[in-house]
Amino acid sequence: MIIIFFANNLISYGVLSALIIIVILMSGISVAYFLKGIKPLIWLIIFTVLLQILFSSGGHVLWHFGPFSITNESLVNGGFIFMRFLLIIMISTVLTLTTTPLAIADGVQTVLKPLKKLHFPVDTLALMLSIALRFVPTLMDEMETIMNAQRARGVDFGSGSLKHRVRAAVPLLVPLFTGAINHAENLSTAMEARGFSDSEHRTKYRLYHWQTKDTISWIIFVLVGVAVILIRK
Amino acid sequence: MDSAISFSKVTHTYQANTPFAHNALNNVTLQIPKQSFTAVIGHTGSGKSTLVQHINALLKPTTGHLEVLGKIIDAKTTNKNLKAFRKRVGMVFQFPEKQLFEETVLKDVMFGPKNYGASEESAKKAALDAMKLVGLDLSLSDHSPFDLSGGQMRRVAIAGVLAMSPEILILDEPTAGLDPRGHREIMDLAKYLNQNKQMTIILITHQMDDVVDYATNVIVMDKGEAVKVGPPEQTFADPTWIYQMQLDLPSSAEFAQQLKHAGVDISENHLPLTIDQLANRLVQLVGKGVVK
Repeated sequence: MIIIFFANNLISYGVLSALIIIVILMSGISVAYFLKGIKPLIWLIIFTVLLQILFSSGGHVLWHFGPFSITNESLVNGGFIFMRFLLIIMISTVLTLTTTPLAIADGVQTVLKPLKKLHFPVDTLALMLSIALRFVPTLMDEMETIMNAQRARGVDFGSGSLKHRVRAAVPLLVPLFTGAINHAENLSTAMEARGFSDSEHRTKYRLYHWQTKDTISWIIFVLVGVAVILIRK
Repeated sequence: MDSAISFSKVTHTYQANTPFAHNALNNVTLQIPKQSFTAVIGHTGSGKSTLVQHINALLKPTTGHLEVLGKIIDAKTTNKNLKAFRKRVGMVFQFPEKQLFEETVLKDVMFGPKNYGASEESAKKAALDAMKLVGLDLSLSDHSPFDLSGGQMRRVAIAGVLAMSPEILILDEPTAGLDPRGHREIMDLAKYLNQNKQMTIILITHQMDDVVDYATNVIVMDKGEAVKVGPPEQTFADPTWIYQMQLDLPSSAEFAQQLKHAGVDISENHLPLTIDQLANRLVQLVGKGVVK
């Protein structure tokens, strides 16, 4: 991602796009999924790009109206911003689609390991992260059930005035929170019963080994990174 | 008999038009008579809960339609204007104690009637009546629902539904996780409502003993289809079929089956379903001198 911000001309963006296209093709995921990932963000992208095009100054003025002006440079900048958004979304979609949430949590733990020297509770954070990820679908299910149960008792969700909607959220949120607190209590009891004391000195069930392909991907990444920095003006 | 609910060719597809689409109901056509006590049975994932959620329009058919208390529900039914209808169809979800949220028990029970436009006074009266009905001590009115025991919370939740005095009451495994006494009390309450308040009861359960003890009508679900609808005697007539459906016989019938394997056939034409029937058959046999 940082490399993407380094790129500032056509060739560097070309190199990065080529890399990401190759990564996407290698992941074997249908391109339709990637396009779906961009969909919810498309308005944000268009808005930012338009701002960039209409308000940036400098370069040869092509058209202007009041405070708005379009210059050749602003067009180029707008294009670059569009590319940046696209590349960042693409590469994060590749990550979330190819890696399980638990593996991501493990990854975060590994990356944060150096912070341990600064007494940062890395293991605790990783534990919280993996528990949080595991409970997302459970809480979603519970929310669905509670919503249906309250609907059956005459609550209208998602209609009426703002005040009405906020009020309708109470019968949903209170049970959801109390449910979460119950989960937390039960889970901590169950963890203690199974011999969990604190996160120090634990062994790991899932072990990740550094493989040749990891080295290869890092070499490619570093080469592309260096190339982009060299190409930049 | 008048039918309170009739499904015609109802199909329900979850996540329709996506790669995850999955048919939970398949062409279901059935009638549930007015004031019947209907049990819905079937193994986990057979579509029982999906079926009953159609009855108060929480789910709508993907194709087909159903008629509940004179109202037609089909794919085009919108969530608007369903309030008055939902008041007539009460639904107690699994573990209903999870839906409590108000500061006091009384307020929580009043929540339903108030949503349906009852005045403070009549809502309070309805709430107190419902609390009496489910056997909750009225001195609990001002307690927080979160301070109560699990069994009491369950009653508060059920009272919250009863306070709306629905004509149809759907119970999705209302006794799951209760002790034997709590179990019997809830089931007796359902029977009382059915017989004395003329409510149509629809009960999802895995307890075959409850089915034969309480229900007058049984729907067997399998793979999203209603494979058998009829009185309990008919449902449990064929033990082999029951096992194929991944269901069990009620314990009296099970006992009779084992006696049969041991050489004593007491089933006559059909298996005894309740403890009373079983006891009667045994008494007859002893009287005939077949068994000592």
